Amino acid sequence: MAEQRTPTELGTEPVGKLLLRYAIPAIIAQTAASLYNMVDSIFIGQGVGAMAISGLGITFPIMNLSAAFGAMVGVGGATMISVKLGQRDFKTAQNVLGNVFSMNIMLGIILATVCLLFMEPILTFFGASENTMPYAREYMEVIMWGNVITHLYFGMNAVLRSAGKPKLAMGATLFTVVLNTVMDPLFIYTFNLGIRGAALATVLAQAVALMFQIKMLTNPEELLHLKRGIFRIKMPLVKGIISIGMSPFLMNSCACLVTLIINNVLLSYGGDLSIGAYGIVNRVMFIFIMLVIGINQGMQPIAGYNFGAQKYSRVTQVLKYAIFYATICTTLGFIVGVFFPAACTKIFTSEQDLIVIANHAMPIMVMFFPLIGFQIATTNFFQSIGMAKKSAFLSLTRQLLFLLPGVIFFPPLLGLDGVWYAMAASDLAATVTTALMLFFQMRSFKKMHDNGLTLKSDI
Amino acid sequence: MEKFVINIGRQLGSGGKRIAEQLAQELGINCYDKRLLDLAAQESGFAKELFEHSDENKGLLDNIMHMRFLFGTTSGESFCSNVLSEESLFQFQSEAIRKCAEKESCIFVGRCADYILRDHPHCLNIFIAADESDRIKHVSERKGISLKEAEKLLKKAENTRRNYYNFYTGKTWGASESYDLCINISRLGYDKSFDIVLNFVKEFLAGVQ
Repeated sequence: MAEQRTPTELGTEPVGKLLLRYAIPAIIAQTAASLYNMVDSIFIGQGVGAMAISGLGITFPIMNLSAAFGAMVGVGGATMISVKLGQRDFKTAQNVLGNVFSMNIMLGIILATVCLLFMEPILTFFGASENTMPYAREYMEVIMWGNVITHLYFGMNAVLRSAGKPKLAMGATLFTVVLNTVMDPLFIYTFNLGIRGAALATVLAQAVALMFQIKMLTNPEELLHLKRGIFRIKMPLVKGIISIGMSPFLMNSCACLVTLIINNVLLSYGGDLSIGAYGIVNRVMFIFIMLVIGINQGMQPIAGYNFGAQKYSRVTQVLKYAIFYATICTTLGFIVGVFFPAACTKIFTSEQDLIVIANHAMPIMVMFFPLIGFQIATTNFFQSIGMAKKSAFLSLTRQLLFLLPGVIFFPPLLGLDGVWYAMAASDLAATVTTALMLFFQMRSFKKMHDNGLTLKSDI
Repeated sequence: MEKFVINIGRQLGSGGKRIAEQLAQELGINCYDKRLLDLAAQESGFAKELFEHSDENKGLLDNIMHMRFLFGTTSGESFCSNVLSEESLFQFQSEAIRKCAEKESCIFVGRCADYILRDHPHCLNIFIAADESDRIKHVSERKGISLKEAEKLLKKAENTRRNYYNFYTGKTWGASESYDLCINISRLGYDKSFDIVLNFVKEFLAGVQ
């Protein structure tokens, strides 16, 4: 398992230096992902119009759901492959690869068929109005025809990473971002394809990246490669893949559910344009959140290793660094959102109505952003030291438990503003909860440290 | 004599562990069960407690909660693996088992050793079973709990043990094709069963020499 070496540097080198070294590739990948989303929104907003941005906003949760299925197979398969590679059980690893491929094709086809058959009722359910429906439908139709490609592309990327080729996987991601950016204006402006053009650019970029991945994965000299006889579905493997993939699936489905509810509340209190405004603010803030997630991914192995090796002072040190950098990122987001909202929204649209709503919403939504870096970093910290349940709980507080009640109960009192305030309130409440949990955790660490819990090595 | 390994899989409360220990004594070799966790801890440099927590445990709830991605990262990009994940701890434990089997002839109890050492040239896989009623009785005596409690405990423990084995090996726990000898202790009693296992092992070792 290429990524499972126990690098002793994790236990010895200066924590700050380590964090940067591990976080930078992760940050690049996360930025690429958020850029991808931004570029699409910008071209759609500028090239097609304000209603198109709202239509795009309607499709987010559906894409989330599709990604949830993709993450289930991708993460589950990748984890299983790295377990099998670690056991030098290449035959089964190969078989998992084939099954991931087949599962992605089947899931992709099923999802696409359901979506294409029931497109209008689904989009209505997700908050489309007669104004936004045409855009949402045009976009989704293209995306869903290419759904199998998207699923395979993400699935193969996950496999490449677990097969010890993270750089290739990252290359594929960056490649799709660049290609998408090049094709977007071409399809939207030159070929006049409207919002369809943006969707087509997305699917085509993934298709090209997928061909490149498949070329890599059909090379028989590679340890893991696609060949005949590995594609037949084997139930024990499928069960294993799904059992691991269940958690990312649930997390992503929650994201879908929350956005679905928010979009519907926005529609009834603020109309179509507020959905577009929410989409714009989200795209902008996503950049800062993704930076934090990159930092967190860099922290994970360092915190995990040192926690395992009982070097608690290094554990707290890396957490402090991560919180520090994360807070810088989210504070930047706060400054941008509070002082320069107009500059951001202008990038996406020139429609005055939409700009007004977005400029009003952004400062409210980012009200507690300087705190949220701490919240996200700490949530991830619990995960890195193996306390997955606490981590999942904390993650859910901000995104679901504290958010949904606010989104449902604030708007009747405050109108549209209630939605924006609900987001700020949930940020604050989640931060307080996180701080309390971290406080108690640190106290028990201190106890462990003081009692000198040491390794028994009397074998 | 060449190095050999005996892997003993067992149902909870079947007496498999006792057989393993007695066999080790008889053959003058080491028997590793929970002690494997010490080896794994040494191999990784991690605290033993971490291994105890995930020892032969692969619960469904843990799986569901075992989220690897923060909410919102739909791209599924993750560059750094979590060294404390169950899969990673299993990896350390397998390395420890392999190193141990390279160094000496020994007996391993459980922990998927039969799968981990599947390429070992002189490897014997034995599965010890017993009737459920006997196993419940054993567990209740050993833990000093009522039969009902023992039954519940047994069901739960068997379930996690089965999940653990099936997940990591891709095989079915306790299925006869994974073993060279499967024996139900309840038929002939402990002593006679032990003799049979011992004779089986001795015949096997005669072939190894």
